[in-house]
Amino acid sequence: MTHRFLSHASLTALVAELVAAKTRVIAPVRAQDDPEQVDYRPIHKLEDAALGVRLTRGSLKEFFLPPTEVLLHYKQTKEGVEIREVPTEAPPQVILGSTPCDAAALEVVDKVMGWDYRDELWFGRRAASTIVSLLCTAMDSTCFCTATGLGPDSFRGSDALLVPVEGGYLANVITPKGEALLQKYAEADESMKASAEAAQGEARQKEEKNLAAIPPEFSAWLATNFDNPIWKTIALRCHGCGACAGVCPTCHCFDIVDEHDTADEGVRRRNWDSCQTSKFTLHASGHNPRQSQSERFRQRIQHKFSIYPSRFAEILCTGCGRCTRACPGGMDLPKLLDELMTLAKSEAKSSEPKGSSL
Amino acid sequence: MKELQDLARKLLNDGTVKVVIGYEEGARGVRPAFITDAKQAGKLIFDKRCVQNLAAYLNPRRKQVAQLGTPAVVVKGCDARAVAGLIREKQIERDKVVIIAVRCGGVLENPETDSELTSETVSVRCGGCDVREPKLHDHLVGELPPAPPVNNHREEQIAALKKLSSADRWSYWTEQLSRCIRCHACREACPMCFCVQCTAEKTQPQWIDPSATPRANRAWQTMRVLHQAGRCVDCLECERACPEHIPLGLLARYVADSVERRFDYKACEDPAVAAPLGVYKTNDDEEFIR
Amino acid sequence: MNIYQPHLMRIREITDETVDTRTLKLEFQDSKVAEEFQFSAGQFGEYSVFGEGESTFCIASPPTRTGYIECSFKASGKVTLALRRLAVGDTLGFRGPYGNHFPIEEMKGHSAVFIAGGIGLAPVRCAILNVLDLRGQFKDVTIIYGARTVGDLVYKRELEEWAKRSDLKLCLAVDPGGETPDWKGLVARIPTAVEQAVSTAEDTFAVICGPPIMIKFTLPVLAKLGFPGERIYTTLENRMKCGLGKCGRCNIGPTYVCKDGPVFTAAQIRELPQEF
Repeated sequence: MTHRFLSHASLTALVAELVAAKTRVIAPVRAQDDPEQVDYRPIHKLEDAALGVRLTRGSLKEFFLPPTEVLLHYKQTKEGVEIREVPTEAPPQVILGSTPCDAAALEVVDKVMGWDYRDELWFGRRAASTIVSLLCTAMDSTCFCTATGLGPDSFRGSDALLVPVEGGYLANVITPKGEALLQKYAEADESMKASAEAAQGEARQKEEKNLAAIPPEFSAWLATNFDNPIWKTIALRCHGCGACAGVCPTCHCFDIVDEHDTADEGVRRRNWDSCQTSKFTLHASGHNPRQSQSERFRQRIQHKFSIYPSRFAEILCTGCGRCTRACPGGMDLPKLLDELMTLAKSEAKSSEPKGSSL
Repeated sequence: MKELQDLARKLLNDGTVKVVIGYEEGARGVRPAFITDAKQAGKLIFDKRCVQNLAAYLNPRRKQVAQLGTPAVVVKGCDARAVAGLIREKQIERDKVVIIAVRCGGVLENPETDSELTSETVSVRCGGCDVREPKLHDHLVGELPPAPPVNNHREEQIAALKKLSSADRWSYWTEQLSRCIRCHACREACPMCFCVQCTAEKTQPQWIDPSATPRANRAWQTMRVLHQAGRCVDCLECERACPEHIPLGLLARYVADSVERRFDYKACEDPAVAAPLGVYKTNDDEEFIR
Repeated sequence: MNIYQPHLMRIREITDETVDTRTLKLEFQDSKVAEEFQFSAGQFGEYSVFGEGESTFCIASPPTRTGYIECSFKASGKVTLALRRLAVGDTLGFRGPYGNHFPIEEMKGHSAVFIAGGIGLAPVRCAILNVLDLRGQFKDVTIIYGARTVGDLVYKRELEEWAKRSDLKLCLAVDPGGETPDWKGLVARIPTAVEQAVSTAEDTFAVICGPPIMIKFTLPVLAKLGFPGERIYTTLENRMKCGLGKCGRCNIGPTYVCKDGPVFTAAQIRELPQEF
């Protein structure tokens, strides 16, 4: 891994060159409906971006797995049906100023997208993207990336990580893609490493206060505590609205549907879906294995912190905290994880399950 | 607050209810409380951060809440209208819920800020509130605070929308709704959306495509807001729930204004008063039939 | 071609098994795919009507018979009703084969008992025909099949063929009240039929599919006969969409029905969280 210094002027020029070359550049931008908030949006010049202000409301997910995506086009003809394929190659895009939790999430989801069957729609966009993350210093009390094994300066999923230093950024160049992007505009420079590392350490210390690291035994505890009475009370205030899944960078569950455009032509699409909705597991017979929000919320926690880890050795969560910020019902994931981890530890000592105080 | 806590304690201790649904202090601000143990009644609070409409938890589809037993629910006047709606439309029985109404002087648009109530910070729904002392209740608690400051933002938005040509209004809403990801959080958070199978979920026939496309998003939101016409209580839960921050409350209020103009009706606290789109009267206005 | 794109199939033959259950015989339109297509008994696919959607069924024909695949379904929702509207010569889509399969290889050299109820015979039929097409490689074969009424019995053509064979034991049953005046088979529910027709678990595999309640009451009968949970095979269904492990819908605890199933042993099912 090498270090380069990227001045503000150079970054401006780099963005200008990318935009001129018709490469889509995506960065945090102040929201139109609320200038205090930022969202990832395409920019036309660096000044459009609001880097390092705070965590964006949505994740990078929509640029890799769109809320709705065409899988194929079909056309009924006299002879039968014609299928028109969709391209799996994607136009180039550069993500600038993403938080490390969002970049890492892409690598985490790569595991399921590559599980036996390779999802070329996902990987096409992954291959076409270069991700330049920014050290996160705008954490609040809701996020907990360090607890999931990451951190505000994590390299996972990023091609380069920028750390603000005087005059610009120290770029940690992580991958050949990162090198290819930055080499023209950023000089090799190891001199600012120390001050950058100081900033990184400070950010990590701040984040670590939010939640203790999730221990490796937690996944197994969840699996053996499927029937723990705590699940009946832990999600009473949950609406089952699925807003959490929408903003979550690692939630990837989807639905497949066909739609007519005309009587003869149409598309097959995949759409975002969520295990929190009541119909997610509803059988045609009317039977539903998950009858109430208690079971559905249990699934969310089990999938993210037990099932996915047992399959892919990855927690399906990067601690971004968006689910908690977005929840209209007051659900609080870091507090909930803290309660579950405490329960797991205490049950290791005694054998009496307790109800939730949450 | 002590009055509320004492009442909750009493209702739980004497077995009148099995759960008191109210507000409590969470780590990040106010959140719903489900008090089943009288000893926990001290957790209940009520202040200007108590924005959420708790009537949604009375929806019989919320099995995990229904299983707790007979509820008491803490409501502001606007929330009480939703409880009235659920009773009016036979989703709950009046004698199966204890309504603890709180006298209210307005809530914040952004409760996380915990700022003073001013015309900038007060919720857009509080202006002109005529239910600060709710009429639908089994118990009425709290002191009557002064009337909330008036936030005219919503009226200004509606006036601006009305000035637009219908083509421009169509463009405005198409753009706003383009962000919709069809998560249906608006529906799940809404106390009046209690249908076991939503029209949008019917597949035979597929009235509305489930995909987040411009035409399907428009169809979904307009259908939902029309199904809410005359029933929506302007609690803004839909807008709070929307992860894409679409001004759904504005759309609902726009339609509510239409209902008020045409039928001289606003969603009210009296379950006996039928909503105009829920009853047929022979003298219904038919000026739209030409 | 992305993994969600189906093969195009043409309907060669339609058989109405009962008043509401239909079997489609399908052939691949692409001759190369037709030639190369392979699968194992128990695997499933996503069958689609373009414009309506996809539906999940097992492949009901055996891998020993090439050039076509079959599926059987009851019309209960949007897609299955659309499938019923298709005619011979019409096109539909097929993605697959997905999932795991019955242990046909391990069963070779041993005996097999096949138990099915109602439309549950569809996945079992695939295994039965696979075994019968290689009859010499297996010892005793017993088939116990029943339905609520005579009219509900599916694959009547196969049932007649199996009745004529001397190298298998066939026991047909209908529920009490479901018999017709000329019914020659048993009048009993499946658990009772199994008690009567199966005498030993020695050196025998059991394959069982049918309504959950049938399975619930038949498993104790098999246990009493001495079948260990590891030698009783069944299939589980769950709501599915992608069929290949990505859409996050079909899991029962850590087990994905589309990847770890749909074939499971009774022993494996006992270990699963009760969420199905």
